[in-house]
Amino acid sequence: MSKIQTIGLRKSYGTNEVLKGLDVSVAEGEVVCVIGPSGSGKSTFLRCLNKLEDITGGTVMVDGFDLTDPKVNLNEVRQHIGMVFQHFNLFPHMSVLDNIMLAPAQLKKAPKAEVRKTALALLERVGLADKADARPAQLSGGQKQRVAIARALAMQPDIMLFDEATSALDPEMVGEVLQVIRDLAREGMTMVVVTHEMGFAREVADRVIFMADGHIVEENTPELLFGSPQAPRLQDFLAKVL
Amino acid sequence: MLSGKRALKGPAKLAVPLTTFLATLALLLGIPAAGAVAADGVEGETFVIGTDTTFAPFEFRQDGELVGIDMDLLNAIAEEEGFNVEIQSLGFDAALQSLQSNQVDGVIAGMSITDERRQVFDFSDPYFESGIQMAVAENNDDVAGYEDLRGKRVAVKTGTEGQTFAESIKDQYGFEVVAFAQSAQMYDDVKAGGSVAVFDDYPVLAYGVASGNGLKTVTEKEAGSSYGFAVNKGASPELLTAFNDGLADLKASGEYDEILDTYLESGAKDSSFWSLITDNGPAFAKGMGLTLLATALSLLFALVLGVFFGFLKVGSSKILRGIATVYVSIFRGTPVLVQAFFFYFGLPQLIGQPVDVLTAGVLTLSLNAGAYMTEIVRGGIQSVDPGQMEAARSLGLGYGKTMQKVIIPQAIKIMTPSFINQFVITLKDTSLLAVIGFAELTYQGQQIYAVNFRTAEVLLIVAALYFIVITLLTKLADVLDKRFNK
Repeated sequence: MSKIQTIGLRKSYGTNEVLKGLDVSVAEGEVVCVIGPSGSGKSTFLRCLNKLEDITGGTVMVDGFDLTDPKVNLNEVRQHIGMVFQHFNLFPHMSVLDNIMLAPAQLKKAPKAEVRKTALALLERVGLADKADARPAQLSGGQKQRVAIARALAMQPDIMLFDEATSALDPEMVGEVLQVIRDLAREGMTMVVVTHEMGFAREVADRVIFMADGHIVEENTPELLFGSPQAPRLQDFLAKVL
Repeated sequence: MLSGKRALKGPAKLAVPLTTFLATLALLLGIPAAGAVAADGVEGETFVIGTDTTFAPFEFRQDGELVGIDMDLLNAIAEEEGFNVEIQSLGFDAALQSLQSNQVDGVIAGMSITDERRQVFDFSDPYFESGIQMAVAENNDDVAGYEDLRGKRVAVKTGTEGQTFAESIKDQYGFEVVAFAQSAQMYDDVKAGGSVAVFDDYPVLAYGVASGNGLKTVTEKEAGSSYGFAVNKGASPELLTAFNDGLADLKASGEYDEILDTYLESGAKDSSFWSLITDNGPAFAKGMGLTLLATALSLLFALVLGVFFGFLKVGSSKILRGIATVYVSIFRGTPVLVQAFFFYFGLPQLIGQPVDVLTAGVLTLSLNAGAYMTEIVRGGIQSVDPGQMEAARSLGLGYGKTMQKVIIPQAIKIMTPSFINQFVITLKDTSLLAVIGFAELTYQGQQIYAVNFRTAEVLLIVAALYFIVITLLTKLADVLDKRFNK
């Protein structure tokens, strides 16, 4: 059974339709990378998967919940979906540790000491145990994004969404963030990764989706999609970015 | 203060005609008025009496106390007749409006008895024979009579006999009339050369000249009007009767003449700049206290209003957003002075309940500042990066928790400078409440220079006090801001 499934997903801003009926299915433990030119709708697609965007048409099923059903408790569903943003969106008025502890402290019944222990373990995992008391402003871009990943993992989600997680980073910091994502993939996390890093997509993805103009133009294993692209749009795109 | 009023409006009304009749009878027969009959209606009662803010020598402040011919007479009569008075120093126009809206039981304010006023009010026996006199600047030897006024400008006080008289002869003598709200203002206009002469009641001029207001009288007083104590038409005949009885007693005992001499023969004391501050220290302190009280209360309520309507403005409900927008539009789109008049004079007519001046003032400033706070709160919340909301919501936090833990703490930091700014504006806006007779700092200043005529010095002191307090409090706010909003 699919972990994520969209059927005829549509999204419009006024008269401007940015997603034109997407059928996507992601299996448990699968890593799907979404690539495409800017404005193709790949970020919007990702943001529909935890309903940060209102969905205009079609259905989005996540973990068996229909997100378009108004009776579904979105806050409950979102606890199982971690999301990492291009611009980190760390909470600047809190320490690194408090950033990670906020959601579990507010939403889990667990004792504070346990929440703290889990948060420290997560920081350890992204290699930032020594930054627990730092403010986000004191960190480099790569460190901020690793904290953001730790924060997204704090509710122990079974799905992770990455929205161009390395696009805002200086080149020398991209590697440390990709390493953390790579580790997560290896551990079997279900992930949808919107990225411009073709090499990373080729290496980590089980499947790559190429989007353009609100459509899925082509999807395939990385070997076939990058090795023998079929659609002229994809060939054209790869010629420019590779 | 309510007991007197209730008694007037309640069952006691039935007893009024009889008491009046008996009291009048007693007066006619020359029976001493302190007798049991006359006291029946008013003894032990407390009446709220409205008066002018400053109409020296009839009412003005000396060492913080309201004194003057009206005040001394009223107090002596009240003592004689065994009732209590609570004085509300409102300003002449405000006092009459308050009387009409039953905010006060009576008005004594050096008011001439006219046929026009008789239609609305009941007057006591005249307690003072006045008359209009003309005064010019001390050093002006060119204007000695009405003939010399041709082509010139003359200052009068709004709504006074002086104004009526000036208007009645201005065409004959060819001068222009300009009206001011307060005596001190028209004297200053004459001293500054804006007008060449003032027309004012002779006792007022006599007192002013004696106090060294820089003017001199140049004409004989015109045969003038009589001053009377007024109550709302048909409202409290027993209070009028008591007043008349007491007045007759004071005249008989000679106390009446003593009171008049106290004020008409001698003026205000001359003093140095330093003693201007020390003599009026209690008045300035009281004024500053009330200024700060009104500011603190207003800002507190404004904050509540601002947070409430600010949240409506960033919320998703169109109707609630609309309500908040209407609120902000009304209070930002009308002058705060008009709002103050409305809440003090208008509101009591609508709700049929008196509204005291602090309540009206705080209501005005709260609602006014609340409108600006609403925009500050809205702006603060909206200037927090939308990514913050998305990040918190993506973790599964609800809207309320996200607001509380993530958005508000950041918004407060953004809003703090605007809050401090609004605090300074509201503190300064309290000075506008002087117009409804709220005894804050500016009002105290007006009271003081109305008596001693040292306008420039007093206003400098008032301005300096505002400046010092605002500077200190702003510094304090900055320190707190740095400390808590790192």
